[in-house]
Amino acid sequence: MLMDASTLIAYLPVLLAGAVTTLELTLFTLVGGFVIALPVALARNAQGSVTRWFAHGFVFFFRGAPLLVILYLVYYGLPQLPGIKETPIWFLIARPMPIAILALSLNSAGFLTEIIAGALRNVPAGEVEAARAFGLSRLQTFTRIIAPHAARLALRSYGNEAVFVLKGTAVVNFITITDLVGAANQVYFNTFDPFTPLLVAGVFYLIIVFVMLRLVKWAERRLNPWAFAAPS
Amino acid sequence: MDLALFSLGPTGWGDELIAGLDLTLRLAVTAIIAGTALGLVSALGEIAPVPLLGRLLETINMVLRSVPELLVIFLIYYGAAIALAALLAPFGFSGFFEINRFWSGVLALALIHAAYASEVFRGAFLAIPAGEIDAARAFGMSPLLVFFRIRLPLAFRLAMPGLTNLVMTTLKSTPLVSAIGLQDLIRVAGDAGQNTKEFFQFYMATLVIYLGIAAVVLLLQTRSERRLFRHLRVGR
Repeated sequence: MLMDASTLIAYLPVLLAGAVTTLELTLFTLVGGFVIALPVALARNAQGSVTRWFAHGFVFFFRGAPLLVILYLVYYGLPQLPGIKETPIWFLIARPMPIAILALSLNSAGFLTEIIAGALRNVPAGEVEAARAFGLSRLQTFTRIIAPHAARLALRSYGNEAVFVLKGTAVVNFITITDLVGAANQVYFNTFDPFTPLLVAGVFYLIIVFVMLRLVKWAERRLNPWAFAAPS
Repeated sequence: MDLALFSLGPTGWGDELIAGLDLTLRLAVTAIIAGTALGLVSALGEIAPVPLLGRLLETINMVLRSVPELLVIFLIYYGAAIALAALLAPFGFSGFFEINRFWSGVLALALIHAAYASEVFRGAFLAIPAGEIDAARAFGMSPLLVFFRIRLPLAFRLAMPGLTNLVMTTLKSTPLVSAIGLQDLIRVAGDAGQNTKEFFQFYMATLVIYLGIAAVVLLLQTRSERRLFRHLRVGR
């Protein structure tokens, strides 16, 4: 029933290739999600009611819809949009990987928007007023005062969201991409042992999560040096 | 939008979609109820003064919260059949088990739901003010009575927001069970799309249904929170 060690070693490259795909998807999604979420978060906190409603709608839409439904809509639905096949964007995204990253990023952005917007709102008003009183421009106030402080506030939640992104990448199996779960499945179909490959894949995921949480801890120390300073 | 595609009867896909929705909802409700109950038990195990038990449960839940849902679904669906066959092999059994897809899906989603619910319940139990327990004990209640009359109701109230969030999460995980061949809503929509080449319309309909359910859950969440925390509301 269970495979022996030599068989597992023979199949290890397959699993590692799957792990690389999973890591690629995770990294690109984290970047893509942030790029989408930042402007939406700013719109969410903006004064205008139209931008606020748009941001609310965006968050409700992408937090309420299952990831797989979004993925299928983009994967099967996008090619059916009239005229899209003539545009240069089509050339860029007409492959499973970019489509998966787009769908995953949109889904992640729904959650990330709330995290970023909440952190930006919770920066103490006194700090902003002090910066303005010192003569900093609005842009300078944002980049030097608000953004660093908000990053500190958002870090913990962002780490949790990153773990959800990692777990979410497994849906790419539904659109023919072989990630870590897909690789484990392949090994199962070749060896008739589901336990070893799936459990090894599980260990890989645990390692990735562990590294992610370590990075968050490290960033927390970097961003809040006084909170971790040795007592003198 | 072509409404004829969604009509009931042999020409439209309306009845098939309703059957798929029915399966999705049954799966979700069963997994959520079982998962919440399991999560409560797990949380009590985690805070119980029993050595090792807490550590063990914490580790299991941590693992279940770190790996993709799809992996757990596959492990249970493929694994259960082979494990059963291997267990019975010494008794002269040689054959295959056809594991029930529905219950494999329910078990996988319930275990994951429980792993998150356990965390929510544990936080709720730990957040109960010590004074409430002291007061109940001072009134002469036995520890069991304190648990059922004071701790459990208070914990449920504190856990409610977290639990309703989990309802949403598990609901959104249900389409993953189509990977083990269950004819749930999204699978039916995919079949319909395959047949009619109208993927966009059918997946859009699926999306609208899921968003509709999400809206209902959100409404129930605000309603229940308003009810549960009405003693904290100021004025009126």
